[in-house]
Amino acid sequence: MALTLDIVTPERRVLSVTCDEVRAPGVQGGFGIRRGHTSFMSSLEPGRLTYVEGGREHHFAIGGGFLQVADDKVIVLADTAEAAADIDVGRAQLALADAREKLKKLTVDDRNHAEEEARVRRAAARIGIAGT
Amino acid sequence: MPSLRDIRNRITSVKSTRQITKAMKMVAAAKLRRAQDAVLKTRPYVQLLDKALGLVAARAAAEEPESVHPLVAQREARVAEVVVITSDRGLAGGFNSNIIRRTQRFLTENGDRFERIELSTIGRKAKDFLKARKLATRKDFPGVHQGLSYEKAEAIGQEFVTRYLAGEVDAVFLCYNEFKSAIAQTPVVVQFLPLQPPAVEAEAAIDFIYEPSREALLAELLPRHVAMQVWRALLESAASEHGARMSAMESATKNAEEMIAALTLQYNRARQAYVTKELMEIVGGAEALK
Repeated sequence: MALTLDIVTPERRVLSVTCDEVRAPGVQGGFGIRRGHTSFMSSLEPGRLTYVEGGREHHFAIGGGFLQVADDKVIVLADTAEAAADIDVGRAQLALADAREKLKKLTVDDRNHAEEEARVRRAAARIGIAGT
Repeated sequence: MPSLRDIRNRITSVKSTRQITKAMKMVAAAKLRRAQDAVLKTRPYVQLLDKALGLVAARAAAEEPESVHPLVAQREARVAEVVVITSDRGLAGGFNSNIIRRTQRFLTENGDRFERIELSTIGRKAKDFLKARKLATRKDFPGVHQGLSYEKAEAIGQEFVTRYLAGEVDAVFLCYNEFKSAIAQTPVVVQFLPLQPPAVEAEAAIDFIYEPSREALLAELLPRHVAMQVWRALLESAASEHGARMSAMESATKNAEEMIAALTLQYNRARQAYVTKELMEIVGGAEALK
């Protein structure tokens, strides 16, 4: 039996498939999962999540979250998730510019600094993944 | 006795009211469907998040009971805060006033438990109602209902987490309408800080490898759990609002129809009386000429 992969966000269930391999952006570096992986939980960075099914790669832009593996079941709890083909590059670029602008105005100890920084990283990640 | 024309005018006016209430009912029904869908769509995330959180929290509690995460730790509650969630618009039956009444009951019942209870509001009606009752509010979150999104819920949740960790508030409650069905909504008060970690089943004893660490994961999962609580409350409240409005408009339409029937009857009687009177006059005149 292959891996099952579920991607859910607070707003909806994004994906539920079986696949051969999952690659995800962990906070301590990217990692891959195949069958028989040990039980594992990791925080995810905003970035590219890829799953391979029958030799074909499918890419998703995720905005941070969690991944949990147990019994060949991979569950991704993402804050946001979009298929690469669905990303609107123009909008992502606007969002990136906007977030960078806001970030410049904030000092490091501002309450919102971390949040804006995360927005910058998310937007940058989305642009990198679009159309792949 | 109102004249024929008066009655006719009233019938026209009630008819146009009926048209409006009917339209509002239909709009509410359509929105209700969408709101219900949104509630259902959060279910998988909530279930999986609760499960993951339960797993991590249970193991953490079992292995190091002394180092509980502050969001879960019980502490002496001095300052409480109630977040009152209503709609922005009225004409939804008892939807908003039920919430306000529930809030007031909570305040009288729990007044002794805390040194101070603060209030904050989501939705214009909550703000206006509390102001009218001269209850001071700490903060209003404006414009949450327009373009309701998870991000807004997250921001609100984040604010309370920050305040809670800073010790500005020791317990936070959400007061909102829980969605039972299109015709039934129950106002509830739910504690959301400190968190009550979701219970885990016994089979949860899988030993995970955690990255970066169990504490770090817990610190990431808990705020998301908080945000989800707010998000769910907002969605439930939205669904309840549309449900309440739908049934309110349904009965308003029915009332209008009854009124139209009654007025029509009155109108016909008055007309008949008028016709009879005229006939009598004509007959009386003819008699006189004989």
